[in-house]
Amino acid sequence: MQKLLVCYKWVLDEQDIKVTGDLSLDTGRAKYKISDYDKNAVEAGVLLGEQHGVSVEALTFGTAAVKQSLKDALSRGLDKVYWIGDAAAEQADAFVTANILAGAIKKAGPYDLILCGEGSADSYSQQTAPRLATLLGIPAITFVRQLSVADGRVTAIRKLGDCTEEVTVTGPAVISVLPEINKPRIPGLKQVMAAAKKPSEEVKVADLGLAAGELAPKVRSLSVKGYVMDRKKVIFKEANQADNVAKLVASLAQEGLC
Amino acid sequence: MPGIWIYSEDSAVARQLLTAGLELKNAMKQPVAVLTLSGEEAQTFIDAGADKVYVVKGSNPWPESYANAVADLLTKEQAGVLLVGGTMRGKDLAAKVAASLKAGLVTDALRVACAGDGIETTRLVYGGLAVRTETVTLPALVTIPPRTFAEAAVQGTGQGEVVIVEVANDDNRVSVTNVCPIVRQGADIAAADRIVCVGRGLSKKEDLTMVEALAAAVGAEIGCTRGISEDYRWLPNDRYIGISGQKVKPELYIGLGISGQVQHVAGIRDAKVIVAVDSNEKAPIFEAADYGIVGDLYEVVPLLTKAMQK
Ligand SMILES: Cc1cc2nc3c(=O)[nH]c(=O)nc-3n(C[C@H](O)[C@H](O)[C@H](O)COP(=O)(O)OP(=O)(O)OC[C@H]3O[C@@H](n4cnc5c(N)ncnc54)[C@H](O)[C@@H]3O)c2cc1C
Repeated sequence: MQKLLVCYKWVLDEQDIKVTGDLSLDTGRAKYKISDYDKNAVEAGVLLGEQHGVSVEALTFGTAAVKQSLKDALSRGLDKVYWIGDAAAEQADAFVTANILAGAIKKAGPYDLILCGEGSADSYSQQTAPRLATLLGIPAITFVRQLSVADGRVTAIRKLGDCTEEVTVTGPAVISVLPEINKPRIPGLKQVMAAAKKPSEEVKVADLGLAAGELAPKVRSLSVKGYVMDRKKVIFKEANQADNVAKLVASLAQEGLC
Repeated sequence: MPGIWIYSEDSAVARQLLTAGLELKNAMKQPVAVLTLSGEEAQTFIDAGADKVYVVKGSNPWPESYANAVADLLTKEQAGVLLVGGTMRGKDLAAKVAASLKAGLVTDALRVACAGDGIETTRLVYGGLAVRTETVTLPALVTIPPRTFAEAAVQGTGQGEVVIVEVANDDNRVSVTNVCPIVRQGADIAAADRIVCVGRGLSKKEDLTMVEALAAAVGAEIGCTRGISEDYRWLPNDRYIGISGQKVKPELYIGLGISGQVQHVAGIRDAKVIVAVDSNEKAPIFEAADYGIVGDLYEVVPLLTKAMQK
């Protein structure tokens, strides 16, 4: 094994997004973060890199804001980050994203393994890993909860709802990992300082040799609306809990639930 | 055959998708075909309204290995729409097929409709915080979660064509071994009528006995938030509820010491009545609850258990 690559996405932190009265989303106070699922992919890549003494690079595609991600990404143990900051990311669907990532991988590669999160924390389309594998002509092993490499072969345990299966691959492959595969490290001051000295390289979409059709999304958003539930919101908050419980039980009795 | 195509490695899910497929058939005035790996089930799709069934047969039993063959067949037949059962295997295959066809794919659509010269879908984004409506140009792929639709009913003449297609799906780079069913510990909470759910407001594992007593009094199964199973490992992983865990639809859900982050709440939206107990009056769970008690669960749970026992 020579070289590993991790793909990550720089996303708005959904915890900071507010649904407003007219059901539109207020992202004004939302900060960006590395998509949680991708933190697991970064960790899986860095652990493999440490075990086998090989270099681990990362690739990210986003809007201009993606440049802010470099420090956090590099402090997680990566050796280098390739980043693509392009306005195309605003409208990109999984088709466009995979075309751009595959183009950049062909340029920077080859890689023995390409790791992705299972989905992204924002749109959670779960398409990037299998699409990339198809575009690169190599196998995809998705939904991986355990990963090891020995004698040039990768063994992965996948978790598929009702069963697990063990998959062994020879040669390069794209892997998507489940959150349960590891606990991503929390970078310390030393790692953050070291990150400042690590290399990053900007990649331009224009240099990837993609046709216009490959950059035109097939899926277009018509509207995004906050999801609200219509609930009764009857809250009992007296100091005396026995009273609260009595009121709750009376309400449940009215609902026919006790 | 242009038209609407359906694929799932799980035949029950394929029959559910037929319900959506037949609606599209009416709107698009195009035939519906089912692609299946299971020859024995072919007639059930015809009985449920499919015009044509293609039984794809290769030598490799791994469902994911059919992606190329499915893509080739759909290209040859000039399929307009492919609905794929949104199991994990289905989502894997759908993304590979979409990449081969250079097509758009919507994941986990809750609704599909014909709109103009494309397909319109809605799905959840931002961990369940919002709903996005999208259009996909043809050929369009959509995955639909299992149980979104009921299975299509047996109808009509039961007349339709079954075609067997031999395909090459060997891949000597990949070998699959040790396929183990996951054995659930206890009942399936996805099907439970009542759920008592516990979050990180619980201070230690031993206190689960207190929660069990409430569950017994209410006649409920015990569920939890992700942290309780994945971080603390106090309960098995198939007990956690949310966007990445189980989606539940009980008559009654009682959440204890759960803040109500969107990823958890996304899993309980279909509950009929939601009750929350949390010490923080500002916890978002109260926005998602029908009834709530602001208080220390250690004080409230024993009182509630006693009251519910009566
Ligand atoms: C991509 C992604 C996917 C996720 N998927 C899921 C998922 O599927 N399911 C899921 O559950 N989570 C999921 N999460 C995690 C989710 O965001 C929350 O972190 C999690 O649900 C919080 O769990 P909690 O409510 O138990 O804990 P906390 O948020 O820590 O809340 C604990 C609550 O307990 C209250 N409390 C403390 N002590 C007491 C007491 N003595 N009495 C009463 N109340 C008390 C506190 O006021 C607080 O409200 C996901 C996160 C991400 C980023």
